[in-house]
Amino acid sequence: MRRIVLLAAALLGAATPLRADEAVTVPVQGRDAFSRPLPTLDPAHRAAFQAGRSLFQQVWTVGPSEVRPDLDGLGPLFNRQSCIACHAKNGRGEPPEGESDSMRSTLVRLSVPGGGAGAAPQPHPVYGDQFNPDGIPGVPGEGRATLVWSERVDRLADGTPVALRRPDLRLGNLGYGPLGPEVMTSVRMAPPLVGLGLLEAVPEADLLARADPDDRDGDGVRGRVNLVWDAARGAFAIGRFGLKANQPSLRQQNAGAFDGDLGLTSTLFPHHGCTAAQTACRAAAGEDAGDTKPELSDEQLDLVTLYTRALAVPARQNADDPMVRVGEGLFAAIGCAACHTPTLRTGPSPALPELAGRTIHPYTDLLLHDMGDGLADGRPDFQATGRQWRTPPLWGLGMTAVVTDRPAYLHDGRARSVLEAILWHGGEAEPAREAVRRMPLLNRKALLAFLESL
Amino acid sequence: MFPISCRIAAPLLGSILMLGAGAGWALEGKVVVMTSYPDELVQRYEQAFERANPGTDLQVVWKPSRDAAAELAKPDQGGVDVYWTPSLGSFPRLRNAGAFRPLTVDRATLPGVVDGQFVSDRQGFFEAFEVAGYGLIVNPAALARDRLPQPATWRDLAATRWKGRLALPIAGQVGFSGALYDILLQAEGWEAGWALLGEAAADATLVGSGGQVSESVVNGDADVAVTVDFFARSAIANGHPVALVYPPRTAFLPAQVAITRAAPHLDAARAFVDFVLSAPGQALLFHPDIRRYPVRPDVYTQAPAGTVNPFQRIGAEAYAYDMERGLNRHGLIAALFDSLIAERQDRLKTLWGAIHAAEAALAAEPTTQPNAKADPERATLVSRARMLAGFVPVAGADADRLAPSFQDRRSNRNPEEQATLRKDWVARIDAAQAEALDLARRALPTP
Repeated sequence: MRRIVLLAAALLGAATPLRADEAVTVPVQGRDAFSRPLPTLDPAHRAAFQAGRSLFQQVWTVGPSEVRPDLDGLGPLFNRQSCIACHAKNGRGEPPEGESDSMRSTLVRLSVPGGGAGAAPQPHPVYGDQFNPDGIPGVPGEGRATLVWSERVDRLADGTPVALRRPDLRLGNLGYGPLGPEVMTSVRMAPPLVGLGLLEAVPEADLLARADPDDRDGDGVRGRVNLVWDAARGAFAIGRFGLKANQPSLRQQNAGAFDGDLGLTSTLFPHHGCTAAQTACRAAAGEDAGDTKPELSDEQLDLVTLYTRALAVPARQNADDPMVRVGEGLFAAIGCAACHTPTLRTGPSPALPELAGRTIHPYTDLLLHDMGDGLADGRPDFQATGRQWRTPPLWGLGMTAVVTDRPAYLHDGRARSVLEAILWHGGEAEPAREAVRRMPLLNRKALLAFLESL
Repeated sequence: MFPISCRIAAPLLGSILMLGAGAGWALEGKVVVMTSYPDELVQRYEQAFERANPGTDLQVVWKPSRDAAAELAKPDQGGVDVYWTPSLGSFPRLRNAGAFRPLTVDRATLPGVVDGQFVSDRQGFFEAFEVAGYGLIVNPAALARDRLPQPATWRDLAATRWKGRLALPIAGQVGFSGALYDILLQAEGWEAGWALLGEAAADATLVGSGGQVSESVVNGDADVAVTVDFFARSAIANGHPVALVYPPRTAFLPAQVAITRAAPHLDAARAFVDFVLSAPGQALLFHPDIRRYPVRPDVYTQAPAGTVNPFQRIGAEAYAYDMERGLNRHGLIAALFDSLIAERQDRLKTLWGAIHAAEAALAAEPTTQPNAKADPERATLVSRARMLAGFVPVAGADADRLAPSFQDRRSNRNPEEQATLRKDWVARIDAAQAEALDLARRALPTP
């Protein structure tokens, strides 16, 4: 009887379901839900999308290649050999299962203190700014990175147990000596890629308008933009990509991933990350001998950028289901929507005009928020502190379990379910988390049903 | 050099290798595997192998087959332990160059024969890892909407109903198309097969990327395409409403694996080969993103619903595809495809349009007797036009002799000889097709 009352009360406040502009969503298509182009792409952009997809799926090779010189240049140090190795099906990555497993779609950022407030992270003097386990022949890899899991049981107010696991990073077989006590690390799992072009097309003014770094409205939710270096413009700009919003544009995000993850230079990042101590890396890179031609051409970078810019968002499922509608109301009522902003509107989009002027429902404000000690990595990144993360978009969330063999959530993949992910929220999100913890079972089911509908 | 025994004593070890994984001793810390497989396949094998062999790092060296051959020709073979790739022609050449160690295989577990085709090395230097078939990907809903029957044979591709609905790979640009077109040409006959391809291609979309051939059907640009099957099977497994049709006369061709002569990590190399040929390794081929056919009959008990079993194919015709003959011809087929089709598609469209119009006009005219031609003279003209339109400048009897001059689709071993030949081809094709067009136009009813 109590359940009926609760549901009925909630139904009275049920939200009108939000559906994204049809021009930017595609009907759900099974495991390829994150791999379809925007339905409105013009023919030239569709062709470029397909060419970009080929490059995204391409395995890069150690040079020189007689057959495909356009695809060589891997390394000298690298994490993976293709984009898709981390971004399988354009969805979330998977963290290692344990100590005997390796990082495949997860990486480790490195830095040491210094650089000043608001500055880019100070790279580790020997290992650089990212741990690269592998090297091309003749270049020692930096070592082996994995995660060891520990688990504790959290109990909701109704007594329901939820197991929460936490990773401990293990870096072994170090190829260039000890990392030292000052090293700061941050484990990052590959995030899903849908809708990135739309997020890029949200005007900066809208992001600034939503920011409330001093909590002037007193709701306990702050939100600030990250100011990061825009290599193309040679100036600071608002960051919106990356788990700490440390990249200002998709093009730079992609060029940074080619550089950091695959070891491919570009006009945006023309130098390999070999440090002075990595002599074999420096020799293989050939930069000291004057070889500075970018390994990734501007055309290739543009094609991959168009591909990531034009990946459509899967349409919502079961949006009219009564439980889903109740959950949608609860999502707003308990404060989730304060950061996971349901609705944004894109502005002009000269890079891809098909994205301009759309009403979208990404469930992100693209701002940095303090997420508490539980999720803190302790590693500042420009203006993002060690406790802050950019609000991740939630669109496509419900398709994660379809697209990915082993769904994992949060920046390091620690959460095995959406509820587990919610329970890791802290800092500015603590009141919302506690509201979920206190929820009656039926309401919790409704909230999760809503999230599954995205 | 010692033979490596595979597929033996499996029941006791949970492995069918006599040496390697599961044997109870530590493997080397790494194994270097060279491949040209896509990462979606490689990743899953890397993950599964490393989880099954903790402490052994699988290092992948990705190389197109010609780069791989150069690497394996080096004295140390580039430090590579295992060559594992879908490149039919590479393995015999590398074996003959002494690049591999012998393997000993238990044929009770791995028969080495699929669909009547010997897919492993008779001399025992490389072993089939998987096979892929060749067929048609179709959009059943689109065909049903327009009340079109599904194509069932290669010959069906020439039907006029596919006008603007068919996608064909460009032989010189798409890796799998050499084998695909050779299967069709052996099935239909050299001359008849080329005529069929020319007629089908006249109104088709020519596609220059392997994945895009199936994708064109998935995204609705085409309703029918010819393809290697794993693109279609993976699309189906990933939820797309497309279907795969195997013509009765098709073939299933292998990708293979071998251990290099100079393998520096021999135990780990054996363990890797053992793994990819083991039941768990073979079952991984059923993954929705891979969808290639295992070469172990016993793992088909784990196959997803609807999986064709190439060891027990229903509806297949007895058809002995000659794989070695085909391998020799891929380069020639690519060159002929360019001259006959890719470089003159507009002219093919005009030519076959005229022939089809003349045939339609004849068919529509009343006849005095059943089975009689409305106008025998015009019918003869059309018949001659059709014959000339299908002209191929290399006779079937000469194809095998000429093939070595066109080594593979990316090689241009004898550029001057090839240029001379192609110039001659083009002149003869021009002449035949000009006459065909004239005949077809004369066969049209006088206004």
